Amino acid sequence: MAQNEMIDASFEEDDHRVAFIFQPNTNVSHEKGTDGATPRSAKRRKLAAASSSSSTPKKHRQHGSTGTNGGVGVCFPPLFGGTEKPEAAILRRELFEEAWPVLEKRVQHVLREANRNTLDEVAGFLKRAAEIETDKLTSAFIITGPNIAAQDLLFEQLAERLCADPAGGDAPPRFVRLRASDAPNLKAVLRKIIRDASAAGPGEDEDAGAEVVQGGRKYLDYDLEALHVFLRQHQTRRVVVAFQDGEAFDSGLLTDLISILHSWRDRIRFELLYGIATSVELFQARLAKSTARQLYGAQFDVVQAGSVLDGVVKTAIASTYAALRIGPSLLRTLVDRQHHHVAGIHAFVASLKYAYMCHFYADPLSVLLAGQGRLTRPMLQPEHLEAVRTLDSFKAEAEAAVDARQLRHARSLIEDDEYLANQILDHGARRNEYLLRLLRSLHLIATSGLTPISFTDLYILALSDGVDISQSSGTIPLEDAIRRLNPDEFLTLASRLLHAISAGSPELGLTDFTADAEDLVASLTDLHDEVDGLSSRARSQGTTLKSRYSAQSRVLRTTVVAQKVQLSRDHATLTDEDRAFTAAVDKLCEVLAQHARCEPLADLFLHEPWTFDARAPYRDVFVPRPGNTLGRALVRPHDYLACACCAKAAADPAGRLDPALPTTAVLYHLYLEAGALINVADLWAAYYALVGEGEEGDGEESDAGGGGFDERTALVQFYRGLAELRMMGFVRPSRRKADHIAKVKWL
Amino acid sequence: MARRKAVQTAPTRLGSRKRDLSPADPYEVPDDVETPRRRRRTEPSSTIAAENGQDDDEDANDSPSRNQQTPAKRRGRPPKAASSAGTPIKTAVTPKSGRKRSLPETPLKLNGVDTPSRRNIADRSARRKSARALIDRVLGGTVSDDELEEESIAREIYESSEDEEPEGEDQDEENLEATTPSKTPGRKRRTARRSPTPPRDLPPHEQYFYQNKPGLAKTSGNTLASLDLLTHDEYFSILRQLKDPHAADVKFLESLHAESFPQWAFELSQGFSACLYGYGSKRRLLHNFAQYLSSQDPSHKIVIINGYVRTLTTRDILSTISAALPPVNGTNDNPSTTTTLPTLLSHLTTLPSTPHLTILINSIDSPLLRAKPALQSLLATLAAQRPRIRLACTADTPDFPRLWDAGLRAQFAFVFHDCTTFSPFAVCELDAVDEVHELLGRRARRAGGKEGVAFVLRSLPENARALFRLLVGEVLVAMEEQGGHGEEVGVEYRMVYNKAVEEFICSSEMAFRTLLKEFHDHQIITSSKDSIGTELLSLPFRKEELESILEELVS
Repeated sequence: MAQNEMIDASFEEDDHRVAFIFQPNTNVSHEKGTDGATPRSAKRRKLAAASSSSSTPKKHRQHGSTGTNGGVGVCFPPLFGGTEKPEAAILRRELFEEAWPVLEKRVQHVLREANRNTLDEVAGFLKRAAEIETDKLTSAFIITGPNIAAQDLLFEQLAERLCADPAGGDAPPRFVRLRASDAPNLKAVLRKIIRDASAAGPGEDEDAGAEVVQGGRKYLDYDLEALHVFLRQHQTRRVVVAFQDGEAFDSGLLTDLISILHSWRDRIRFELLYGIATSVELFQARLAKSTARQLYGAQFDVVQAGSVLDGVVKTAIASTYAALRIGPSLLRTLVDRQHHHVAGIHAFVASLKYAYMCHFYADPLSVLLAGQGRLTRPMLQPEHLEAVRTLDSFKAEAEAAVDARQLRHARSLIEDDEYLANQILDHGARRNEYLLRLLRSLHLIATSGLTPISFTDLYILALSDGVDISQSSGTIPLEDAIRRLNPDEFLTLASRLLHAISAGSPELGLTDFTADAEDLVASLTDLHDEVDGLSSRARSQGTTLKSRYSAQSRVLRTTVVAQKVQLSRDHATLTDEDRAFTAAVDKLCEVLAQHARCEPLADLFLHEPWTFDARAPYRDVFVPRPGNTLGRALVRPHDYLACACCAKAAADPAGRLDPALPTTAVLYHLYLEAGALINVADLWAAYYALVGEGEEGDGEESDAGGGGFDERTALVQFYRGLAELRMMGFVRPSRRKADHIAKVKWL
Repeated sequence: MARRKAVQTAPTRLGSRKRDLSPADPYEVPDDVETPRRRRRTEPSSTIAAENGQDDDEDANDSPSRNQQTPAKRRGRPPKAASSAGTPIKTAVTPKSGRKRSLPETPLKLNGVDTPSRRNIADRSARRKSARALIDRVLGGTVSDDELEEESIAREIYESSEDEEPEGEDQDEENLEATTPSKTPGRKRRTARRSPTPPRDLPPHEQYFYQNKPGLAKTSGNTLASLDLLTHDEYFSILRQLKDPHAADVKFLESLHAESFPQWAFELSQGFSACLYGYGSKRRLLHNFAQYLSSQDPSHKIVIINGYVRTLTTRDILSTISAALPPVNGTNDNPSTTTTLPTLLSHLTTLPSTPHLTILINSIDSPLLRAKPALQSLLATLAAQRPRIRLACTADTPDFPRLWDAGLRAQFAFVFHDCTTFSPFAVCELDAVDEVHELLGRRARRAGGKEGVAFVLRSLPENARALFRLLVGEVLVAMEEQGGHGEEVGVEYRMVYNKAVEEFICSSEMAFRTLLKEFHDHQIITSSKDSIGTELLSLPFRKEELESILEELVS
């Protein structure tokens, strides 16, 4: 305690200041020079002494050196317990800096594209409304859904869009974004509207907007006349006011504001946009009827979050541009969280980014992601090889090799560093090959339109279980769907698949892969032509083409023979054309099954360096459980402190409290046992009985071990513990009885 | 104290069970819990009659509390760990409730005459009503403990029967604590009524309902009156000598956290805000983090905001931040005058989009920051100015994530880290003495007592002193009249103002307000509103203190 006091002295003067600019006091101690025992340096030494691993300070020094070498930004600390080569650490950072922005750009693109329709509609509506002469305020109600975090982007885009294409050729309108928190009262709202509307736009010179004084008069800052004057100077009349969270505004305020803006409409053309989470009807119900009558509005929807998510998964996570694969279980967690909690797509993207950060920051093997040119043999340290040998996929590969009697391969993998290094350097090609196979299969399946599963789910399924379309054993059973096709559908499917192959998928980053799938293309073309011919022949004969699998072809026959009923199933009435069609359908199944096929990610040798599938960091960092953390710290301090005394307490079979535990932990134990109302006097008595010198109760004496506190010291501890409990919000004062406190947390 | 209760009740229950057996078969070993009940049913009616009278009585007393106990029992207590107190209680209680459930019919069947006395019935229904009132109150949600007049009446009725005997018993038990099981009558009644030790391992919400059952919250009448509470001086003088046995472990823990500084710095650089939570003071950790950051890039400015300081305002934050930013060339040469958010933000946008500033916030969930949502949204807006501004904060309470809605969360873009430090809170963060006294409803924070007042008044002008003298006089008079002592007595603001005008202390209400403001700032007066909205002024001192202050002022 005394030590702490001393250490605290160094920044004591700053303690009571509300906010201050931090002055690093290492410089101070350097300047002082003679005063070697500045509190700061004293503490440094202590820290170093206290940490059992003497590597800590050394490590810090290393950061320092690499920090200066590495140039911009924070440098990754070396892994492998500090023995990682600095080049490898720098390479990891470079890889991250290359990998993420690609993805981020694609995600942003998807998000912006998703709103495009809404933007067009809103802009179109405002334009049309401008042409209609009406004495009402034009207002667009945009149903944004409950996630207010997603609205920011939408309104930002709206501002860009509306300012970019001015209707009717005049100057761009002024755009004001309002949030309910900006609008405590009418004056404040007006002030904000005027200020934001008359703030200088990006391309304008500043002094034009600075002066709103005219004829020696200065307007009050909530007088719309000022805005009017300003707008006249800028030859525009339009002001777009966007209420981002329309429902959060006080309805009285909104009513007043609307009627004021309405009364100004002959001088300033206000156009209102509302972001609405629920429905226009509910929103309207909150406004006065007379107010609602002043509005001329239309309703717009934004794209559902689900389809946006699908788009993000497709273009960012699954596409070939993504350097790092997000593993199936993590992706499943992230997607589920999107569905179950209204977390917003931004939270999803943030978690995605964090996964990338984790991988490159903490996994030394992430250097293997570097392309052929940059990952060289000298870069691979013995530690890298050793780490590779601990991977699950390495073990699986070695075992598989043994099973397949490729003993040389297995042996060299395990023993020969050079052999393994070559394997590692080659794995990039294998990875690309796998990804192409995976994505092409998925692309074929998704474009076939035969399955109702969303792309996200398909992708997760494919990663975790592989792709196999056979009906009985497959992960994505499609055969039945193919067999049920009628000739027309068959033809469209075949042509759609052909088109999918030739066009690739810009979202997934797939280009034309006709060359790689020659046999598929050939057989699809053949099948298409064949069926086309068959169906036209059937049409000329006046029959319809059907296959053995179509439901109608199966006939149940009832025959009565000698008063017995015989049921028989018949495949009758299949013409030659029908049989040919059936064969074609079977062939299609076969061909497709051949090409839409891929093994699960986990079966791949050396998939770990380019896959991130740990859920723990995500959970810890984005879904904190502070209650559990606090409770655990207080119930089992040993988990954190790892000290002998607390370990003893934890191991005590009787579950008795040890006085050596931190005060707050002891009090928290007592707190847990107490009821909703706690008598502080009793709490104190219980606490003192536990930690006191042991004058009362023979049982306590042995526990305290002679190291008990005298009453005043114990009271000081008690005060501290109780104050901490209060600060953490566990108790609050109660006036029910004297010296009682109320329990307010049940963790 | 619950711990002690467990110790007490365990032997008593054993005793009571023994007593049940004794009249019929003193030698029988109470091995089978079913035995007493079975035997009772088949025994001659004379013994039963005798017992019935008593049992009935007990039944009457018990009826409400039995109602509460039943669900607890039905829920089934989770299997206990080998807790020394728990096991015997469990075996002792179970048979009892079984027996009692069958009790109301028993007398009728056998005798047909033994009805409960009229008074008992009346009592019982009153109790039932009050129990219902208590339950209603809990359901109605008005359990906040401050205005509980009615409830206390209900509770009184409800507990009246319990209070009859236990008064004496409490002492009894105190003496008999942890001795051999006693056989005094009345013991049994008490043990039956009292719930067993709180069931362990209940999920938190069950625990809440269990502990908030009406009637269960019975605590002893002990007060801290005999204890001499600590003063600041004593507290600090003892604290200085105190040695924390865990100091080394805490240090080690801190060094572990320090190893993730590079990680946090990386996260900040990637546009996330870090939020450190967990038990213990994280102020030093954050300070060290600031140290680390500035060692990485000495030119980088770091602003530390102490959320725990109770006088934090928007203005402070903004002016400090704008002072830390590079000045705008030309127009605004004195950036420290920038005290509104919009101007600060527009200033920020003129800067190149490179990191300029890291904001570190101590205790983002301090009482003050909790109470002012505007500050949270200010901080969120600042955090959203990435990459120009980076932000990291610490949080102490277990429910801090509820401070922010989805919008704020998105702006903050937090990553959370468990930083349990176990290091003690410094005085500036947590004034234990004040905090505990406030908790106990003793004395609030103020300028240290009588001497403090004298010191403050000496620095104030003459008419301020006159006004304070007037105020003290009025409060003393009011105290005489109301017979109240100390802190709660208030005088009407209007009345004081009128008197002040009469005595030429001040000429306008504005001047009066200014004087009062001075007192407020030094926390030597408090003001409140009564139920009809009249403003009351009061002085947070005891009567004796007031008298001596007045003497000093007059002399």
